[in-house]
Amino acid sequence: MNYKPDESTLIAYLYDELDAKEVEKVQEYLNRNPEVLKKLLGLNEVKNVLSHAGDQEVIAPPIFMDSTSHASRFWQSGYFKTVMSIAASILFLLVAARLIGPEISYSGGELRISFSGNKKIEKPIEQVVTPLVSPDEVQNMINASLIKNNEQISSEWENNNKKLQASLRRNLSNNSEKIDELMKVASQASQDQVRTFVASLQQDNLQLMKDYMQLSAKDQKTYVESLLMDFSKYLQEQRKQDLVLFQTRMSSIEKNTDQFKQETEQILANIISNPEGALKRVNNY
Amino acid sequence: MTETLLDIAMMHSDALVGRAREGDKNAQGKLVQLWYKRIYNFSYKFFFDHDMAMEVSQKTFISMHKNMEGLQEVNRFRSWLYTIAVNYCREELRKKKTRRSISLHDLRPGESEESYRWEASSSRSENPEKQLRQSELSDLLQQCLMELSDEQREVVIMKEYEGLKFREIAEALQISENTVKSRMYYGLDGLKKILESKNITKETIGYEL
Repeated sequence: MNYKPDESTLIAYLYDELDAKEVEKVQEYLNRNPEVLKKLLGLNEVKNVLSHAGDQEVIAPPIFMDSTSHASRFWQSGYFKTVMSIAASILFLLVAARLIGPEISYSGGELRISFSGNKKIEKPIEQVVTPLVSPDEVQNMINASLIKNNEQISSEWENNNKKLQASLRRNLSNNSEKIDELMKVASQASQDQVRTFVASLQQDNLQLMKDYMQLSAKDQKTYVESLLMDFSKYLQEQRKQDLVLFQTRMSSIEKNTDQFKQETEQILANIISNPEGALKRVNNY
Repeated sequence: MTETLLDIAMMHSDALVGRAREGDKNAQGKLVQLWYKRIYNFSYKFFFDHDMAMEVSQKTFISMHKNMEGLQEVNRFRSWLYTIAVNYCREELRKKKTRRSISLHDLRPGESEESYRWEASSSRSENPEKQLRQSELSDLLQQCLMELSDEQREVVIMKEYEGLKFREIAEALQISENTVKSRMYYGLDGLKKILESKNITKETIGYEL
């Protein structure tokens, strides 16, 4: 049996919108395929969770319907308004043109728009510039400056190289002297000196242990203090929450009273707007 | 879900719809009273915004009043009404996207707006603490719904909260029944992932309430 329900069938099964025959088939398929069943159960759980989002309460506003329908006037229609706005724009442009007096002319590939009269535009005078230095002279100047620059750089490089080598030699000799001195001092250290060094180390360790113990005692003290502080804070918080709860209940009562008032007002409004219906209802009672 | 008297009245409102279609203003008024809460809640769950839900509800019923005579079949009133509501929801959504403004109500939905809280009438005798937790949970689930795509959200709300049949949803959205079912399947699957990421399960909800 190679029946395999698609997602649409599975979702219809979940919402119980399949016919009995189809339900049977799907159930058989689910028995054979536990992973699909698991998936479907997961979706069902989502359904259950979603059901916790309740409805928002709202009261329908009183509706007053106008029984007389007004036929829209000709000048209220959209087409008329569009035509009128275009006509108004053209009229505005004509008036503006009359007042400003623009002149538009096209001659020799040149479009001119001018207001109140035609003015001639003077063309800028071109100035001829004669070069003061020839290209060969410029090239020679560049070459000379490059040669001069190269010479300067090479001389500087040589100087720097010499200085670097000298400083290296000086450092090497200094370091070797210092190492020799250190070696001499180390070889001269006696057994007594070693003992005193070890004793001082032991003393240092002892002090360290003492400090550590004192510090940990202090830490414990602060911890207990903070614990007490937290407990008192907790008590305060509890008290605050109780107050909030009390306040919520009070506001809930207040809102309910307001709402009751509002509903009563609405009922009264209904009675006022439809006294005949109200009278009938009273008579029925 | 337990059915209230209002639900039963809504289910058997064919005669009322018939009279309203013939121009009976009183019947139209009664239809508004019957369906206002449902359309408001549908829009509220779609936007998670009281003002927009009010706007859509009012426009829907004005449109219902104007076009009642054009309703072809009385028994299709429910899907017809939701078609109008969905169209207005989409229109408002488009406007909202172009406006790109934030209403003060969006900053703390459900809390900043005090003006409509008085309308909560079903929870009169409930424990205030439970009431508070229920409202917080509703807001949380609403936030999860808002993470779905618009198309999936409208189908999930219509099916899960408005209780429409898949056929009716297909009629209201003017798409095929299979598309509706497919959107529902992927919508629930998406919600499962969203709820898991926020650690909302049957157990945690039971602990909260």
